[in-house]
Amino acid sequence: MIIVVLFFMHNTMIKKFRLFPLKWLNSLLRYAIILFCFCIPVQRIEAAVYTNADTTPLSTRKMAIDYMNNIGTVPQSTWWPAVQPALFIQNIKNNILHPLRIYAGAGTDFCSYSAFSYLILKDNPLGYARFMMAIYVDGNAVMGKVEFNPSKGVRKAAGMLRFKGRLDISPADQLWFLVLADEFKGYLNMFDRNYHAGGESNLWASTNYAKFNRMVGRLLNYRIESKGSDLVRPIIPDLYGYLAERLKTGIVVLFVNNSFLYKKNHTLLKLGLPTHFIILQDLSIADNIITITYWDYGCKTRRQMTPRFLSKILFGVSHCTIKTNHEN
Amino acid sequence: MAYMILIFLLCSCNPALHIAKQYYTKHEKILSAIEKDYKTQYQRTPFAVAFTDNSFRYISLEIITDSIKYIDEFEVGENRFNDTMTKYAMDMHAVHNLIDKMRAVKCIWINMLDYYVEEQKNAMVFIAIKPLGMTNPFTNKKYYILTFFSKPQSFDKDGDLLARKKHKRKREVNGDVVRRINDKVCYTISDRFR
Repeated sequence: MIIVVLFFMHNTMIKKFRLFPLKWLNSLLRYAIILFCFCIPVQRIEAAVYTNADTTPLSTRKMAIDYMNNIGTVPQSTWWPAVQPALFIQNIKNNILHPLRIYAGAGTDFCSYSAFSYLILKDNPLGYARFMMAIYVDGNAVMGKVEFNPSKGVRKAAGMLRFKGRLDISPADQLWFLVLADEFKGYLNMFDRNYHAGGESNLWASTNYAKFNRMVGRLLNYRIESKGSDLVRPIIPDLYGYLAERLKTGIVVLFVNNSFLYKKNHTLLKLGLPTHFIILQDLSIADNIITITYWDYGCKTRRQMTPRFLSKILFGVSHCTIKTNHEN
Repeated sequence: MAYMILIFLLCSCNPALHIAKQYYTKHEKILSAIEKDYKTQYQRTPFAVAFTDNSFRYISLEIITDSIKYIDEFEVGENRFNDTMTKYAMDMHAVHNLIDKMRAVKCIWINMLDYYVEEQKNAMVFIAIKPLGMTNPFTNKKYYILTFFSKPQSFDKDGDLLARKKHKRKREVNGDVVRRINDKVCYTISDRFR
């Protein structure tokens, strides 16, 4: 904001008061503004709402399983040489039947895509199944407002990721996460846009808060009320009350600081930045201790924390609700 | 001044990796006992333990059930800790014993880690040790990692663990390549304990 004001002040001084134009300062300010617009991650501090007139596509688990059972034999895809059809189909069926077991893999940056998977598997498993089969057979597919044309690197890598725990034996999940990461780009991916070996564990796969909300809005057409940002924690006076209220009416995705949630080292100077997406499942409070149940890494976790700790780790709250006909 | 430069150079060139191996050799008996005890207790109730502070007083206990994972923090010896163990049918005495052994060798984290060989699920015991005292200030890799496999593993000529027999690809454990101590035990150093 300061940079923008400076820029306009500088231009005004040149135009109105005919002051000697400092060309280098002008260019510097222009670069600063470009940097500001593209790189500064403070987005949507206040609630932002995606509003589309159409409805959220919905389906049931039974519809998805019936669809998968009627597919018949699928030949080996030429688009995805390392993904065997039998394992691929079994993986999709398992995801539809046990959506909570979808696993982002050990040491990967796929947590946002697995949180996204929770949403689609909960409310539109048929859409997920159709998309997966289309992209496997045809090499491209459409979901929501987005047409996916996966890059060559991703097509080669799917089915080949190893040493990631259960993700090793889940070729459909590998394909799904890689395709999502390949298609959606945020400012974190600016300097690492093309997949390379190991990309799943670094900036290529990273997701900033706005990118996650954009993914949910464009692909699943939920109404998203988001509060928070990548750098600044949202100011929510009654955090417990806010989350509990949102939980009653939709799916709540939390953007949290993982190094505090899961302590992995004893470094004193920790970056207070969020890197992890979790799905809030349940919330209760007693004696000023919040018991929180959330979903990540393929399972539900229940733990207790103080409201202060929760406030410390929380950088974003996305409340996703279904758009229905009567709202149009 | 010259001594300081010498110390600086020695620290910078310190091959900390082999120290992890020496640490295992020095404490082999107790580390093997920790692995064995943990495996026995894990079969009864799947769980993982982490010490959350440098003084080894506070622990984070993760109890894994079919539907949910519970994470709680306790002070060792606290009544709440014992109540939780009773609730989840854990052998209180054996777990306390395990924690004492962990504390004795500065073992900060123990869990069971899944890995896959030819689509088959296997499990290894993953132990992280936080050595106290002087560590190389120019590295963030400060945890000795030990992995205990239940079957003999394959290694390349440099002693790095391979993905499987007759394969050239090195297996990564928690993002790190691990090296041979013996056929079933490997080591590395890492910047994180889990």
